[in-house]
Order: sequence, then C-alpha cells, then structure tokens
Amino acid sequence: MRILTVAFAYVFAIYSYIQPSGYRAAYPTRSDRLAFAHSFATNQGLRLLYGRPHDVSTVTGYAAWRVGGVLALAAALYGLLGAVRLTRGEEDSGRFELLLAGTVARRTLTFAALAAIATGTAILWVAELAGLIVAGLPLGGSAYLALATTSVVPVCAAIAAFAAQLAPTRRVALEFAGSTIAVLFLLRVLADTVDSLGWLRWATPLGWAEQLRPFAHPQPLVLLLPGAATALLVALGSRIADRRDIGTGVLPARDTAPPRPRLLHSATGLAVRGQQGVLIAWSGSVAVFAFILGTVAKSISPADISGSVHNEIEKLGSGSITNPTGYLAFVFLFLVFAVSVFACTQIGAARQEELDQRLETLLALPVGRGRWLAGRIALAVLAAAGLSLIAGPLAWAGASAGGAHISLARMIGAGANALPTAILFTGIAALAYAVAPRASSAITYTLLTVSFLWQLVGSLIAAPRWVLDLTPFAHVALVPTQPFRALAAGIMITIGVVSALAATRILKRRDLVGP
Amino acid sequence: MNPAIRTSGLGKRYGETVALDGLDLEIRPGEVYGYLGPNGAGKTTTIRLLLGLHRPSAGRAELFGVDAWGDPVRAHRNVAYVAGEPFLWPSLTAGETLELLSRLRASDDERSSASDIAYRERLVQRFELDVRKKVRALSKGNRQKVQLIAALATRAELLLLDEPTSGLDPLMEMVFRECVNEAKDRGQTVFLSSHILSEVEALCDRVGILRDGRLIEQGTLAELRHLSAQTVEVTFAGQAPAPPPLPGITVVATAPNTLRFQVPGELTPLIDALQGHHVLTLRSREPSLEEIFLHHYDGAHDRAGR
Repeated sequence: MRILTVAFAYVFAIYSYIQPSGYRAAYPTRSDRLAFAHSFATNQGLRLLYGRPHDVSTVTGYAAWRVGGVLALAAALYGLLGAVRLTRGEEDSGRFELLLAGTVARRTLTFAALAAIATGTAILWVAELAGLIVAGLPLGGSAYLALATTSVVPVCAAIAAFAAQLAPTRRVALEFAGSTIAVLFLLRVLADTVDSLGWLRWATPLGWAEQLRPFAHPQPLVLLLPGAATALLVALGSRIADRRDIGTGVLPARDTAPPRPRLLHSATGLAVRGQQGVLIAWSGSVAVFAFILGTVAKSISPADISGSVHNEIEKLGSGSITNPTGYLAFVFLFLVFAVSVFACTQIGAARQEELDQRLETLLALPVGRGRWLAGRIALAVLAAAGLSLIAGPLAWAGASAGGAHISLARMIGAGANALPTAILFTGIAALAYAVAPRASSAITYTLLTVSFLWQLVGSLIAAPRWVLDLTPFAHVALVPTQPFRALAAGIMITIGVVSALAATRILKRRDLVGP
Repeated sequence: MNPAIRTSGLGKRYGETVALDGLDLEIRPGEVYGYLGPNGAGKTTTIRLLLGLHRPSAGRAELFGVDAWGDPVRAHRNVAYVAGEPFLWPSLTAGETLELLSRLRASDDERSSASDIAYRERLVQRFELDVRKKVRALSKGNRQKVQLIAALATRAELLLLDEPTSGLDPLMEMVFRECVNEAKDRGQTVFLSSHILSEVEALCDRVGILRDGRLIEQGTLAELRHLSAQTVEVTFAGQAPAPPPLPGITVVATAPNTLRFQVPGELTPLIDALQGHHVLTLRSREPSLEEIFLHHYDGAHDRAGR
C-alpha cells in the first residue's frame, strides 16, 4: 500500500506539473491558445480520453481539462487497487485472521482500511497541488482542482470495498470493482462525446469531477455527491462485513470444478491455464477501446488551424492529429505503451510463481529453469502479438462504422507496430527478473513509465534530439501516418531477444528466492 | 551401482550465516534414511541443495551419480519430492494438480501407464482426498495429501520427503507410514527429513542427526543406542538403600522402594553394586530415539554454555 501510494503520488505530482508547463511552452501567445482551443475543444477523440473541456484557451482551463481528466482516472484506479488490497488482500493472505484472533473487532479493521485510503487521498491531493503550484497556477484554484480530482478516490475505494465484501476471492473482487469502474468511465465517455447524453455525467463519479468545473465555473456543491455515495457504500459494506465469514464473500466461491486437464501437459501449458482470465480481459479491453477510438476518429475534422499551432501539435509527436488517420496514429502510441505494459505483467506473473514458491514445486520435477522461463517469455510475446493484432482491425471496424475511410492493411500495420517495443520490454523485464527477482517489478515498471513519459514530455518541451532518442518510444513510428521503421524495430527486437536469452542463462545460475 | 544420494563436503552459506557445513552423506538404494534436527538445523537447506534449487557454496551433491546442481532435469527423473509447505496452484482442482504433476514427470516417450493411474486412484482413496475440490479450498493437511499422493504414485526410485506429515491427522499419518513401508518393500529409497522422532523410529533403517548445519551423529538405531545410556529400574524389598556412588552412572529415586539408573556402556558395575541387596525386579530399557536426540542436544547446550 505504501509503494502504491508513493507511485501514484509521484505520477500525480509530475503530471500536474508537466501539463500546464508544456502547454505554456507550446502555446506562448494568446492567439496560439485561441487557435488551439478552436481546434481542440471540438475534438471528440480528445474529449473521449480527457473529458469535456470548459476553456482551453488559458493555462488554468487547459490544466483543469488535461490534468483533471487523466488524473481522475488514475484516482479511480488508486481507490480500486488500494481498497481491494487493504480489505481482501490482507484477509486472503491470512494476516486479517491473526488480527481478528486478537482483540480487534472486524469493523474496526474495515474502518482502519478506510482511514488508510483517506490518508492516501490526502497525500495524492498534496502531490497534485504541489505540481500545479510549481507549474505556476494560482493556489486557490489549484487546491480546488486537486480536490475535484481526488474526490474520485473515496467513491471508487468504497465501490471496491463493497465489491470485496460480496466477492468470494480477491481476484473476483478486483474483477467486480474493475468492471464497475470501467462502466462508470464509459458513462463519462458517452456523456462527453454524445451531446444528447450529457445528463449521464451526473451518473458517474468521473462525471462529478468534471461537474465541479475547476477554474471555469466552480460548483463546489457537487462535492456532496461523492461524499454521499461514499458514505452509503461504506455503510452497506460494513453491514455486510459484520455478517459474513472471514475469507469468504457473500457470493459463494465455487470450491469444486470438473477437471479440465487439457492444458496441463507442460509448465507453459500450466501458465496459459493460469493466465487465461487475464488474457481474455486484456483482449476484451483492447478490442473495446480500439473500436471506440476508431468510431470517434471521423469526428476529428481538419479544422483550419494556423501553421504555428500545427507545428506545435507535431511536436507532441503526433504528426497531424486533425484527421482520422493522424488521430489514430497518435492514440496508437498509447497502444504501443499498453501492449508493453501487458508483456511486462506477464513476466511479473512468472516472477510471482517464484516469490510464492510454486516454482520450487515445478523445478523439483524434471523441468528445466531455462525452458520454463523461455516458455513464459514466449507466452508473453505471443499474447502481446495477439493484442497488437486485435487492435488494428477493431479500430478499422470502428472507423468504418463511424464513416471514416482508412485502409485495413494500414491499421493492421499500426497494431503490429506495437510488437517490437513489447519484445524489447519483455526481454528487459525478464533480464531484470533473472538478475534481481525481488526488485525487478519496480525496476521494470519505472523504466517503462519513464521511457514513455520521456517521449511525451520531451517532444512537448522540444528537447534536443539526442535527449529524446534515449527512449525507445522515440523510435516508434506513428503508423499509419508514418512508414514503419524497420531498422529501429529490428534493433529493439534484437535487444529484446538477447536480453531474454541472457535471462534464461542467468536464472540457471542463482538460488531460487525463499519466503 | 551409484548411491541414491551422495554428498561430499556439501556446504551452503547465506551471506554471513552458515546453513550447512561439510555434509558427507551416502545413502544406498533401498535404504530408508531419517534426517533429524530441530527447526533451523539445516534440513530444508540440505533438501534444496539435493534438488539443485540452491547452489552449493562448497562441495557437491549427487543423486544416482548425477550432479544435482549441474544437471537437475536428469537428476530429477528418478526423484519425487514432498515439501514441508505445500505450494500448489490455487485455481487447479486436486485432481488436476495430480494429473499435472504426473505428466510433468513423465518424459515424452513414457506416458503414465494404466497401472500407474490405478495405483494413484488407490492412493486417493486411502488418503480420502476429494479430487474435485480446488486447491484454494483445501486445508493445509489436504494440500499436503495432494503432494504425498503425487510423490508416492510416481514410484520414483528416490523419495525426498521434507517433514511430509505436517498438517496430517493421526489416521492419515498411519496411512503415510504404511505407504512408506510399501515403498521400502518395492525397493524405493526414502530420505525422510523430520523432527517427529516416533515417525523416524518407526520407519527408518538409518538416522542422521543434524545440529547447526553439521551432521553430528549417524548410524542405525542399534548403533546409536550403544552410544547412549540405557535405563535400569530396580525395585527393592522394603526401603531402597542409599544409592551407591558409581562413576558415570546417574541415579534417581522414583518411589520409596525404586531407583532408576542411567547406565552408559556395560551393566557390570551396577550389578556388582547391587550385590547383597534384596532386589525384587530389575527392568532394563534401551534408550528411545527421543532420549538419544535430547542427549545430543543437551550436550550441545552444555558446551555452548561453557
């Protein structure tokens, strides 16, 4: 929980600093900003990602839109992960039982979890506020914006805590809460992109954060909504907590199952069996999001924007974002990142096998370490390839449904373009795992996030070429607007494969980690 | 024929801590070897080295002549392992786990035969395991059964058992003992690491005692008994006499007419001393493994104290 909070606080502070600063650097004059507002305020694609802008011709208005939009999503995620970990994570690992066997009432523990979430929320609020103030925004407005953003945390945490009482296991709790929050996000997307559905904004905490309208027309009374929703969910949740058995949910777990031995022929088959749910969830999410992004691509109109603004947009690394192809090329950069994250989570799952000591059970059999890790790496890469190949056709289908005409082949190419980077990061993640199994997750995800932010921020502040070139993402072509960069892709794949091979060697040479 | 287990100068240190120091073991095929020691003595470290899960800091370990660290896959072909803590996959059912473990053991050209499967079914019945249940829903004892059945069903030439009965109820422990005896009759080698002395005493041909990473005593139970004192209880007609001073022999009065002597080595000095007394009964008993074990550990404390 501490690591989770620190990581999110870091993201909140950096992001809320970078966005206003970048805007100020990219659009120095009033006329630049007005032109930007003119072209972007109506951009459905960006609305979908960041929410509805109220006034993006000023630094504060831009900050409210970009910082508020993205960080509200991050806040939802934080609330979800934090609450499930605090309530069901402790319980499933047995620590909860130890505490309850003492003199602590279980309701106290639920409230202790909520107190931890409240503290975390406060920390995120301070982090965002600090970022905004350092970026030169006024104190009062910044505090209010940070409040609007972090108001999402308690609601989502309460949703997750409630789901944790219902669900039989931690994983199911995460699934329940995760899909609820995904639906709330989709409601906000609909409200912000379809004008007649604007009222839906009142139905989701992410919409409430928008309705607070930081900097534009503050409506602080809206804060009553997240407050009331949180109180209601907590009250319901703690009533259930008093009644249910420890280690179970209100909904029964299926304790027996008919045998499905089909995949259980090899260590890699076992891994596929274990990751099935994750693979389906990722494929589904990528498919849905690619389709939605495709649908809104058409609404990106080639508005008449001044040459200087056009240049600045290009600096964002997006080529021309103002036509459907350019827009999809830009959002597919996020796909490249997402697929790399996915591949790293697969190596993370392999690492977890060792930390939970199940790997010992496997390796006591005639199963080789090198082959085992090679199998997990192959699974990561194949699954990443699957995700990459799903995204293109679905974005194309979405675009066609929305009336934009883009070649299917080029969109397949745009998806496949995510694979070299994913192979690179799979190799790096595997190497980090083989060398330093305990620290490897932190190393891998930090490297991945910093590389990506490096590209986004570096291009925004027009960093020198050699500085930008340090991150792999600078070498990813924006397919379909730009041609595929075969040489860069080849180098990334080579580094990835060499690292992966080294990882299988190194794993053979060390002790397995104990408990 | 290669020994089932051979270690020479096997040692392991974790940072500053010496977990195992200069272990020399040689266990013949068909032997049942008890590996005794309290928690933290180095039993699990030994097994991790034997399985090639950890790399030896010194010396080497061989299973049937194959280097455990250098070629673990080949070394494990003839070995089945039961860990003290069952680490299994929570989402698989017990039956799926058994199937998985047996398939991963069989090399590509030898799939488990019908008789193997039938034997496994019998073990499932004897251990009363519900194979439809998911591992996550099993108690620790039941997860332990899954491991035990998987290991016993393979009929591997060597069974490495690390405190295998932890979590089992007494009935299941009896089934376990029967199964180990059957394995012994089939000629399988068993390496049983344990701190349950009665279990080792009931099952093992030879015993090694481990203390602070060192093998301090090794031999058959009979050999170990020779090294320890036997207990002699003497009942007298009427009041017991004042205990005679005898070098090396300790004595306690357990009743007004009874004395209990601890006699290392021969009984002659005691018999001589009893001459001329009215002795009603004289019972002598060999030391239990527990007494041998405690004897070694008490000695250790005395030495450490000085």
